[in-house]
Amino acid sequence: MPAPRRARARLACGLAATAVAAALALAPLTRVEGATREALAWLAGAALLLAAGAALRAPSLLAPALLALLAEYTVVLLQGGDRVDAAAPLVAAGLLLYAELCSWAREANPRVHDERRTLATRAIGLAASTLAALALSALILLAAALPAGGGLARLTVGVVAATGIITLVALVARPIATRARR
Amino acid sequence: MTRRPTGKIAAYTGVAALALLAGLALGRPELVAVAAPLAVLVVAGLTGTRDPQLDARVSVDRERALVGDEVTVELALRAATRIERLEVLLVVPPGMDGQDGGPGGSSLAPRRIGGPGGSSLAPRRAGASRAWAVAVTLGAGEERTLAIPLTCRRWGAYWLGDVHLRAHDRFRLFSWERRLEQPVPLKVFPLPETLRTLVRPRQTQVSTGSHVAAQRGDGIEFADLRPFLPGDRPRSINWRATARRGGLMVNQRHPERATEVVLFLDSFQDVRGAAGSTLDQAVAAAASLAAAYLRQRDRVGLVSFGGFVQWLQPGSGQAALYRLLDTLMETQVFATAAWKGIRHLPPRTLPAKALIVALTPLVDERGVAALFDLLARGYDLAVVDISPLTHAGRAGGDWGGLARRLWALERETLRHRYQRLGAAVVEWTDAVHLQQVLLEVEACRRRAGLAPG
Repeated sequence: MPAPRRARARLACGLAATAVAAALALAPLTRVEGATREALAWLAGAALLLAAGAALRAPSLLAPALLALLAEYTVVLLQGGDRVDAAAPLVAAGLLLYAELCSWAREANPRVHDERRTLATRAIGLAASTLAALALSALILLAAALPAGGGLARLTVGVVAATGIITLVALVARPIATRARR
Repeated sequence: MTRRPTGKIAAYTGVAALALLAGLALGRPELVAVAAPLAVLVVAGLTGTRDPQLDARVSVDRERALVGDEVTVELALRAATRIERLEVLLVVPPGMDGQDGGPGGSSLAPRRIGGPGGSSLAPRRAGASRAWAVAVTLGAGEERTLAIPLTCRRWGAYWLGDVHLRAHDRFRLFSWERRLEQPVPLKVFPLPETLRTLVRPRQTQVSTGSHVAAQRGDGIEFADLRPFLPGDRPRSINWRATARRGGLMVNQRHPERATEVVLFLDSFQDVRGAAGSTLDQAVAAAASLAAAYLRQRDRVGLVSFGGFVQWLQPGSGQAALYRLLDTLMETQVFATAAWKGIRHLPPRTLPAKALIVALTPLVDERGVAALFDLLARGYDLAVVDISPLTHAGRAGGDWGGLARRLWALERETLRHRYQRLGAAVVEWTDAVHLQQVLLEVEACRRRAGLAPG
């Protein structure tokens, strides 16, 4: 495959990621009205810009783009009241799909040609992780809907989860670049 | 292999942490549901990822090649653990190239010797060198050999095998990098030109060869008649002359002798253009001349006079040719302050009665002065002036044209100075074949009374 075609592969991944991000950014606008909608439109625009930048040009913008999309969704959630949002698994899967497509776009170096088997493995992995994200989010929502013995038990689960994630952050923060044995 | 985390870990962890905390603070399970896949992916990646076990070896299908030949670099990979994506990058030194790709670059695809599937490579520009890169997936215990065809575009001594490997895990959270240091030597010789006529030396040596010597002795070529003397062989008697003159007359003949030729390579400067360079021309010509002289049983030596002096004493036969070509391959422009003031060649580098064929662009004053020194020392010198004007390209504007004409005039003056001192000098422009240049040198020497016959 010549280099221009491989450059197009990178562009295609970036554009696909941007399209997913656009869906994630614009869909919440349909669920709010009035002044909130106007304010959210600005946030959506910024999120979309960041998302496009992360997908097409600067991979370091991935975390800000994800946070902006998440912030927009949080605003919509808060506007929606106490009702559990059934679209959350879709948002979770969409966010993961966007992030993975960004990662793929970064990986699709025009100088390097991926053989067909590598591409197929990657595509299957991406589809599987998106479906798994969808299922996991749905399970969590279902678990949240179950009566779990009142607020204390739910709070305990939340504290344990928060402690776990802080431990994870500490694990990631330590230097993990190693020189393995040859 | 050196392990490096990708930016994905920090991004996923940070976003997941913030979403989980926000979910906890706001009491919204949706945020937890959104964050969970990112967190799970990071946890799975951190716990499940192991350093890849990879063995890689580089080999080249031959050690010597000619310009234009195709050599195959084989990269044997063996993975003990599964590697989701392995980027293989081979640095191709300047002077070597991949095959010219057809439509879609299909001919760039390497042949795969082992393992299923196929793969292809493509070139990239990286400064002066180029690289061929491919990404493959290796299963646990899988062996794969990638064959990378390269075409030798320029002569020289190359080290192939500069390979960079980068492995990725399943979740692309880590990458491992390694540089293979298994240099494999490859010598690319210039294509020898067929030369029918060579510059004949003024004097011959005592050993037997193909040149008719000016002296008289045993040989084939008739030289003269003289009266018979005791000790002369009866088969030398010329009976017809004896019958005409009334006394025994014998034939005298010219013996066939070998000559010693020293190729003088001026490598102080290299004028490089789009089509090649003066040094390329000089090395190719030296290789052709060496092969041609050695074919006619002459002894050939080499003096490479550049940043430092390299010389080979004259030798004969196939071994001498390979020794000479090996030395030629190492010729390069080498700037050094230590030899800045060199003007003379060490006396022992040049044997007496040797013909010196100088291949020089007459650009560097040290090379020019060394040739004057050789003439002053009485050597039989023929100069092939490899014109740098063809390689230098056209200068723009009136001043550029004027400078070019002045340079050409200066070079012509220099050639006349050599000719006045008894050297045959011929300018070799790009369009002319080496054989034609040698014929002109021979004609020039004949006019000056330097060439025999």
